[in-house]
Amino acid sequence: MSIHLHQLAAALYLLAGLVAWTGMALRSARLERGSVWLLAGAALAHLGAFATLHSLEPPPPLTDLPAAVSFMACAGTIFFLAMLRRLRLDGLTVLVAPAAFVGAFFAALQLPEAEPAVVAGSGSWPHAHVLLASMGLAFLGVSGMAGMLFLAEHRRIKAKRPIDAGFPLPTLEALDLANRVSLAVGFPLLTLGVIAGMIWVQKSQGVVWSGSVHEIWSVIAWTVYAVLAGARFGASQGSRQAAASAVGGFAFLCFAVIGVGLLT
Amino acid sequence: MRIVLLGMNHRTAPLDLRERLAVHDPAPVLQKLVACDEIDEAVLISTCNRVEVVVVTRSYDAARLRLRSIFARELASDSIEVSTSELDACLYEHVDGDAMRHVLRVASSLDSMVVGEPQILGQTKDACRVATECGAAGPILGRLFQHAFATAKRVRSETRIAERPVSVARVAVDLARQIFENLADKQALLIGAGEMIELALESLRKHGLESIRVANRTPERAQELAARFGATAHGLDGLTELIAEVDVVLISIGGDDPILTVELLERALASRWGRPLFVIDIGVPRNADPAINKLDPVYLYDIDDLASLARKNADERQREGVLAESIIEEQHQRFEGWLTALRAIPTIKHLRERVESIRVDELERALRRISLDDDQREAVEALTKSIVNKILHAPVSKLRREAEHEEGIVYLEAARALFGLDDETSDEE
Repeated sequence: MSIHLHQLAAALYLLAGLVAWTGMALRSARLERGSVWLLAGAALAHLGAFATLHSLEPPPPLTDLPAAVSFMACAGTIFFLAMLRRLRLDGLTVLVAPAAFVGAFFAALQLPEAEPAVVAGSGSWPHAHVLLASMGLAFLGVSGMAGMLFLAEHRRIKAKRPIDAGFPLPTLEALDLANRVSLAVGFPLLTLGVIAGMIWVQKSQGVVWSGSVHEIWSVIAWTVYAVLAGARFGASQGSRQAAASAVGGFAFLCFAVIGVGLLT
Repeated sequence: MRIVLLGMNHRTAPLDLRERLAVHDPAPVLQKLVACDEIDEAVLISTCNRVEVVVVTRSYDAARLRLRSIFARELASDSIEVSTSELDACLYEHVDGDAMRHVLRVASSLDSMVVGEPQILGQTKDACRVATECGAAGPILGRLFQHAFATAKRVRSETRIAERPVSVARVAVDLARQIFENLADKQALLIGAGEMIELALESLRKHGLESIRVANRTPERAQELAARFGATAHGLDGLTELIAEVDVVLISIGGDDPILTVELLERALASRWGRPLFVIDIGVPRNADPAINKLDPVYLYDIDDLASLARKNADERQREGVLAESIIEEQHQRFEGWLTALRAIPTIKHLRERVESIRVDELERALRRISLDDDQREAVEALTKSIVNKILHAPVSKLRREAEHEEGIVYLEAARALFGLDDETSDEE
């Protein structure tokens, strides 16, 4: 059941992405709105998939990479949909939907065969680590996507080119605010995720620092984000630099957490 | 019955002539028109860009002459003469299909000076309302104008003809709305004065911008402008501090050297926390150094940039016009179909009357021979009516459908011949 809901969610994410891009190409505001509804439907199916997974006896942990990436896609989408209530960010669906599709599709392909590494005696810390870190990553992902669209729009307005899309893309101010809020929520969650991970390692191996490749790269990525967050909130960084930092930071974070996980 | 339209617009007549012929109260002219024998219905559209009269007539030549005399004598104000040669050079005439198509194009804003502008639809609706209220618009023109409003709605919803702003002021607003999420909580600084800059500011105010500051070289002028816009007045000496606080700067002030320099902006930006600053420079020569656009949070547009975007948008509207024309053609065909179908009405009416009279005669003859109580008589009457209606339903529907096409005349002639309608008419005559 869970795998079917995952497949449904992936299909809806893909459809939402296609509708959003078609809406942009055909300059249709109606398609843009339709893509948001499809994205909301996909998020519901995705939540249903996790609820079904949780109802299994015993419930499989989320510590394997496909489940964590899928949860990240789901959390990011829900966070984005929540922001839509306050900000006109509908145009960002062209990036959020395809990214969520990749996450859900990855899980739909791998979940049945995934062999979760359950660490005996570690209690809820593995779950806490995955949930917090995935949410942090997801929100920082939304920040990166808002940054990407900000940079494109900033360049277009500076170059004095007419608007390319037929429907209104998010304003620079909305994209900057989305970037700021995502970073403000995502970085603390990532920090808590790193701390939960350390406690997990301490509980299972008796040491706080095991020196694994995942640990090293995670801490480097966290440090990079700490610097970015400091620049944004402490040193009054401008919107364009903040957008560029969000894009670069998220690319590095993806490599450090997901890329290194896949390579090792 | 023919539809004739006579008029002049921004392409055929100069502004001063259009001004002289503009009609502020069309009702008396319309009443005079429909009082003439040759004119059945009339609507008059008078805007700053056009004066047009459209009529339904049974006598084309007489109606043409009447309309020309209306333009020469009635529309021109008493004090200003309009010569016949002057009128002949500016007037255009459309008849039947062309007249209908023209009305649809006018209401859809395809014939406007600024293609896609929304005001013309309201003006056309007003013209139709006035004509209806004074009894000048009847079933044909009433239907034509309702059809024109529906066409305009289709054009606006199915094309992007009205999507992009084509005035410099609206382009400025559009840009501000691409930068800022909400103009209501933003502040604008007006440096200098001038018609264009005030139009841009007015457009921004219409879209929610409330907080305005005015800076000028002369304090009196600053006070005057501030009073007009409900703003606060400032001199030019505290410009850095003012710019540090506002979100939109509109500048058009005399002088050869730029007022907004990179150095001044850099000082102002230092305390803005990276907030975007939209600068609209309408001054000629320019009042803002173009290099300030290289500063990250500054988005600078001068008059040429705004005009260039407005031109591009206008070109885009023209391209959309091609799609709109196909909608006009489709809608025109529909109206022509409806109009053509009207000719079936006398035949259908005649046919029904003929069959009804047969039914009534035969029923009375039969009832004289048999004795029935009231209930039975009613039942027999209902039975005959039902038989007649069922027999007529198929041929009448077919006649209505076929009458919408030109070749449908064959069916009408066949119906008249088969039911002997023409014989009866000639007998009656």
